Amino acid sequence: MASLSLLAAVGEVGGDFFKERTSDTLPCQAKPNEVFCFDWAKDNIDRFGTPTVQHFELVVISVLLGFALAFALALFAHRQTWLRPPLLAATGVLYTIPSLAFFFLLLPLTGLGKNTAIIALAAYTLQIIYRNTMLGLDNVSGAVKDAAKGMGLTDRQILWRIELPLAIPEIVAGLRIAVVSTVAIATLAVFIGGGGLGTQIYGSGNLTFPTSIFIALAIVMVMALVLDAGLLAVQRLTTPWRRARAS
Amino acid sequence: MNESPQASSVRYEGATKCYPGAAEPAVDQLTLEVPAGEICVLVGPSGCGKTTAMRMVNRTVEISEGDVLIGGQSVRDRDPAQLRREIGYVIQQIGLFPHRTINENIGAVPQLLGWKKDRIRARSAELLELIGLDPELGDRYPAQLSGGQQQRVGVARALAADPLVMLMDEPFGAIDPISRERLQNEFLRLQAEIRKTVLFVTHDIDEAIKIGDRIAVMREGGRVEQYATPAELLMAPANEFVEDFVGADRALKRLALMRVRDIDLWEAPLAFVGQATAEVRAKLASPAVEVPYPLLVDSERRPLGWLSERDLARDVVPERADSPLGPLLERDDVMRDALADLLQAQSQYAPVVDHRGRIAGVLSVEIISEFLGSPAAKGDEQPATERPHG
Repeated sequence: MASLSLLAAVGEVGGDFFKERTSDTLPCQAKPNEVFCFDWAKDNIDRFGTPTVQHFELVVISVLLGFALAFALALFAHRQTWLRPPLLAATGVLYTIPSLAFFFLLLPLTGLGKNTAIIALAAYTLQIIYRNTMLGLDNVSGAVKDAAKGMGLTDRQILWRIELPLAIPEIVAGLRIAVVSTVAIATLAVFIGGGGLGTQIYGSGNLTFPTSIFIALAIVMVMALVLDAGLLAVQRLTTPWRRARAS
Repeated sequence: MNESPQASSVRYEGATKCYPGAAEPAVDQLTLEVPAGEICVLVGPSGCGKTTAMRMVNRTVEISEGDVLIGGQSVRDRDPAQLRREIGYVIQQIGLFPHRTINENIGAVPQLLGWKKDRIRARSAELLELIGLDPELGDRYPAQLSGGQQQRVGVARALAADPLVMLMDEPFGAIDPISRERLQNEFLRLQAEIRKTVLFVTHDIDEAIKIGDRIAVMREGGRVEQYATPAELLMAPANEFVEDFVGADRALKRLALMRVRDIDLWEAPLAFVGQATAEVRAKLASPAVEVPYPLLVDSERRPLGWLSERDLARDVVPERADSPLGPLLERDDVMRDALADLLQAQSQYAPVVDHRGRIAGVLSVEIISEFLGSPAAKGDEQPATERPHG
């Protein structure tokens, strides 16, 4: 979690979310040891609507972008095997950059706002999606590819009709990890003006009054679970053969 | 599809495969012709280039030098993918598409060829029936079938578009011995119907002898040491390598190529129920009779049992024989199996019946051992046998 000094440092670029709380927070602030203030939650639940939508957009756009890029790289490296070590290294390096540092490194290039957040978040998904796509393609049995080739499928047909469908479980597994971690990391987008549920977490008053943090975290977790379940459902629907076993 | 069997000859013309960096070619100047509708088995130890040679036909291995002609046309002039759709391809690991149903697997090549859905479905049902599987299995996935069923589907898939040539790379190699025997028999029965030109790769000489119309024995370096029919190979191995590869038991293997009807049987002295035993005893006394006991048969000449001295001491032949019949052979039995039956029953001889169960003669261990010791078994004479299939 970000330190106080960091919060102060980014406070000026962070936009209006560090504003002092309005008086409607008073009932619980009167009781300082209260962990969760239901009255406040009831009165303020609508302020989470826009950040939730923003957060969802950040996640979906970032993962889609990351998927498109990582998928293309994987298909390329699938044929051009010499590309594999450098691509793995490059995506790996991106993955090791601390998230906040990445955001601020991008600032001079892309400025404040959603786009910077999306670029950084997408970059984080590259490694996991790329690796899993490669893994899925590599896991397709040589016998199946040999049979396909011997039956007269072209390389392109083998890729799209045989290898990729069979790689769906691994690809979706990568997407699930990417989505869940992006939902979490996207809370940091607030520091470069990217919006999202981070706005409701890193507010200055939250250290003594954490109700807003709890609500935002709950939304984050539910969003992660729902997206994860959605992807799992997609996988189930697209891979009926995986559930078919000898009777 | 059986009205117009479709098959082409395959001809290797000095076909050579050199892999980059390899000192010796994997296949060296291979020249042989497989007539249309015949099974040619490429057999040899591992590393002899048999699979490489087979794969030249559908260009999954590119030919370095020389050529392969299918029905007179060079495969080198063809687009590889187009060419492969006309050639059935069966491999040891089967390689069914796990994400496609059985029907979709069988329909894979027809789909590539642009067949209509109805036609593909009908073809799949027809083939499932042909290979002895319930067409209802067509909607299952490969993982829901047993290994033997999957291998049958692999063969059906290769046959789907009625190919000119079939390539089979150790198709039964990963199957347990009992199922393998059955699959071999089924395949031979199938082949008798469809009459494809088949290139069949195996390292198992027994399988080669059983399956092949012709056998090419290969050795390291991709050279063919002998290309001959199974009988020729067993009777007259071209050199020491072939002799070693065929094995010391080649006389016994010859028996696997013969049926009981191919050999001259002994005549059995027959005894009918109610017949006077004096007549039977007179028959036994004839010098032409080689079996010392009379065989009791019913009015349809179906064997019932062997009569003993005690039976013959009566006036008329009884309804039941003193000695049980023992093993009963059929004219269509494979000789090797017949010998095994005799040995198993510790019996010197056994009656042989025709397909209606009527007595045809008596086969004895003596007949077989005389045959094995005769010039015919050693290869100085033409074998008088028709090949038993299945």
